[in-house]
Amino acid sequence: MTGAQAMVRCLEEEGITKVFGYPGVAIAPFYEGLYNSDIEHILVRQEQNAGHAASGYARVSRKPAVCVVTSGPGATNLITALATAHADSIPLIAISGQVSSKLLGRDVFQEADMRGATRSFVKHSYLVKNPDDIPRVFREAFYIASTGRKGPVLIDIPMDVQQAELKKSFSYPDELLIRGYKPEIKINPIQLRRVVSLLDQAEKPLLCAGGGVILADGEPVIREFCEKFNIPLVHTMMGMGVLPKKHPLNFGMLGNNGKPYANKALVRADLLIVVGARIADRAIPKPENLTRRAIIHIDIDTAEIGKNIGPTVPLVGDLKEIFSLMRDAEISRKDDSWISELDEIKKNTVDTRVFSDRFVDPNLLVQTLSEKLKDDAIYVADVGQNQLWSADNYVMKEGRFITTGGMGTMGYSIPAAIGAKFVFPERQTVAVCGDGAFQMSMNELATMREHDVDIRILLVRNNYLGLVREFQHYHYDSHYEGVELGRWPDYGKIAEAYGLPYNEVSSNSGLDEKLNWLLEGDGARMLVCDVDSENNVK
Amino acid sequence: MKGIFSVLVENRDGVLSAVSGLFARRGFNIDTLAVGETENHEISSMTITSTGDQRTIDQIEKQLNKNVDVIKVRRLSESKSVCLEMMLIKVSCTLANRAALIDLCKMMGANVLKVAPKYMLLEYHAHPDSVEDFIQAMKIYGIIEIQRTGTIAMQK
Repeated sequence: MTGAQAMVRCLEEEGITKVFGYPGVAIAPFYEGLYNSDIEHILVRQEQNAGHAASGYARVSRKPAVCVVTSGPGATNLITALATAHADSIPLIAISGQVSSKLLGRDVFQEADMRGATRSFVKHSYLVKNPDDIPRVFREAFYIASTGRKGPVLIDIPMDVQQAELKKSFSYPDELLIRGYKPEIKINPIQLRRVVSLLDQAEKPLLCAGGGVILADGEPVIREFCEKFNIPLVHTMMGMGVLPKKHPLNFGMLGNNGKPYANKALVRADLLIVVGARIADRAIPKPENLTRRAIIHIDIDTAEIGKNIGPTVPLVGDLKEIFSLMRDAEISRKDDSWISELDEIKKNTVDTRVFSDRFVDPNLLVQTLSEKLKDDAIYVADVGQNQLWSADNYVMKEGRFITTGGMGTMGYSIPAAIGAKFVFPERQTVAVCGDGAFQMSMNELATMREHDVDIRILLVRNNYLGLVREFQHYHYDSHYEGVELGRWPDYGKIAEAYGLPYNEVSSNSGLDEKLNWLLEGDGARMLVCDVDSENNVK
Repeated sequence: MKGIFSVLVENRDGVLSAVSGLFARRGFNIDTLAVGETENHEISSMTITSTGDQRTIDQIEKQLNKNVDVIKVRRLSESKSVCLEMMLIKVSCTLANRAALIDLCKMMGANVLKVAPKYMLLEYHAHPDSVEDFIQAMKIYGIIEIQRTGTIAMQK
């Protein structure tokens, strides 16, 4: 068996049925292995999108997903996707071809030091020099990617290692021995008692859920916990969907771009339970202002504790386990007065934003769309104003809201939606993007059509890089520089070129009908929505 | 404050770069770094010293622990461990002050490795603070070159 055949075998052992990739000479032996396997290869149109598609696939399947690239530029093109996955703790296995091991370090054709280049963007990386290491490396990589705080793992394999014969017979290890990696953390019983006691005493507890809750499959247990003890919840952008938006205990998204009443809840609370969140600048711009109240910080990653905020009580461990224990602990159920107080704040929060009635109102757009979406729909938001309008207005039911919260990588939505759709072909999947982000990954329309992937694309067009324009408006006296996209391309013709049914809407009155059109029937289609470039998020 | 870390790592290529890269990326300071193989040739030991506030020193320990190639991190307190540094130092000297310098070396426990017409090559190992003192004492003679190993430390 060759190294390449062993690589394919490892993927089969891990239950991988699809890989997203872009071949080249240095990874050609692996493709020869794929040729003789049942694993389906999805050819993307640029390597970064192989990473994003795998990210969408991993997030929806809740398992590691695989992307494959060749050496040199193929590998470096993938780096942005690795950084994106790393920032959001998404489990990816990235396989990159490398020049032959005896040529390493000689700057030969298409050589790039991938281990060095990706050091700070992956959870771990391997450069495989011996084909007999392949089974162990793959087993470790899948384990590391999918346990503890999840994340991308890179396996860089020189071409000669893929071609070489294994000296030992192939055996996929059951047991793992990684001396420096022990992700299973025993929950500290003393800390847990302190947490329970703080919760018992608190009058105004507030749970702040981050993306870590979803990564840990913790939504059901958090929901049970909140409901049992009558504890309200706010969330970060990545924590959207832990509770449905209309759940009576959900008080919305935190942060500058979140709901004012969510931020007010944070100020009024006497105990904050931060779960699976980094307390990063976008959700909580000034964590030092929160230190007056008791804070419980629960995370799988010890290094998150005290990184951005010094908690009263830290608790490290798997949150599903922690919340199962807390759900069964003796904590007094909170009366309704705190919830009523928050309800009152919510009711009195008046939306002072005035939108022009020209064009389509983006808030109304997202609200109307989310009413029409099925309960379990997958909504993939890109980056820019469209992301903030989406996060603010999308009424989440039992589906998924997928976006890149940490890195904010433009062009994420279309490839990620393609990846997600492969997991659940029967679930409605919508990609919402701006005209800037769309042009960063519109080449993937070909991938989508080639594999007959049914994505509904909603393109929010204002002919500007809207969020940067907005920043220039507020911070640089409206000196708009380098943000005008202009009138190109003709999106109708782009759609036609890819054989995609196409429609446009430019007023609120036409919205209902056009959104119905976007969601009906079978097969991918695209709707362009004109919004006013003057229409800022804030 | 000062942080002294004794770190066991996998003895593999790229590990030193991963550890030092971690300091660079997060803006942590490396004061000294000394690396060598342990009795098990698969494992290397690093002594890293750093200065920073409490949060920084805590973060260094946690971030080091996250690295898969890092097997064990121990934070050493100066009072409960032995810290040692070795130095090679080339000091100018003339016939006139050579005897005085040799006496000083004897007194401080430095070894004279070479005597040349215009300089002496000395070896000195001691607690890092004493190494600093020795450097100060040599300044009046004129220091030509210094090589320091960085701190190595072990719990008592």
